[in-house]
Amino acid sequence: MRRAQAAGPILGALSLMALSALVLWPVVAGDSPWPLAPGDYLEARGQAESGAQNLVSAIYLGYRAYDTLGEAIVLLVAVTGAIGMIASAGDARGGAADTRFGGAARRRTELLDVVTGKLGPVVLVFGVYVMMFGHISPGGGFQGGVVVASGIVFLSLGRRSSHGPRITRAGTLAAVEALSFLVIMLAVGLGLVTGSGFMGNPLPGASPVVSIVVLNALIGLKVGAGISLMCVAMLAEANEPW
Amino acid sequence: MVEFILGLVVALAVYSLRSGDLLHGVLALSGLSLLCAMLFFLFEAPDVAITEAAVGAGVSTVVYVWAIKATERKDKAQ
Repeated sequence: MRRAQAAGPILGALSLMALSALVLWPVVAGDSPWPLAPGDYLEARGQAESGAQNLVSAIYLGYRAYDTLGEAIVLLVAVTGAIGMIASAGDARGGAADTRFGGAARRRTELLDVVTGKLGPVVLVFGVYVMMFGHISPGGGFQGGVVVASGIVFLSLGRRSSHGPRITRAGTLAAVEALSFLVIMLAVGLGLVTGSGFMGNPLPGASPVVSIVVLNALIGLKVGAGISLMCVAMLAEANEPW
Repeated sequence: MVEFILGLVVALAVYSLRSGDLLHGVLALSGLSLLCAMLFFLFEAPDVAITEAAVGAGVSTVVYVWAIKATERKDKAQ
């Protein structure tokens, strides 16, 4: 019985590998040429058409901006669901969380305070850099937003009292996320008014790199606020009911 | 180099599956994400490397550790 239990996952993993090999084999072994046309097109004309030196940014905010909008909505739904689960878990447990985890005061150490408090602002600045220069260097809204969220989590871990800086409060983060998503929707809808269509370049005369930079900043704000709202809510729920 | 990192990735994945302590498994997953970020960087995909390092090694570790803290051990013996 015990041997059968141990063999189950291994058999499952082996059959999964065999199945994926079966599916991937025609792709690898087939003699049809690998499709190179999109890559060649982007390499030749991507930078001139979008104005972005980083072709990854040119693709995900220029050619495939619809996908990015969908990803932003998926993230919004995921964060909403997580916040709902955290809030209901806090309701079910009530005030018992304080005693079970020993309270906030006992878990404070100087090491945690100093390292997270000093490192937080540096990580925040790096996140904003990754966010704003996504059209030139590797990075962009999603990556920068997640780095910004790590910085906010650092600041929130390093606070000494429950009244930390305003950027680590759940209300502020929720407002920033909602507001930036509203501005994203307005920005992608602006093309309908100016005549270039939904998600089109809103200012027909301007370089398309402007819309990439603006969308990078907005998406970074939205992603950073959403993920840090989730983490701050979890940390706050472990310490005190919010 | 690449083969060495890939071997470490597999070893960490097996360890995180087989380890008895959930916290050890989460830390192994965090290290696995860092190694994957290094691999992405070696294969000249710095955008993906930044994402993997920030999401895999950073945020998801925070979420897992919180989930472990918020739940109880099933077997008190260990």
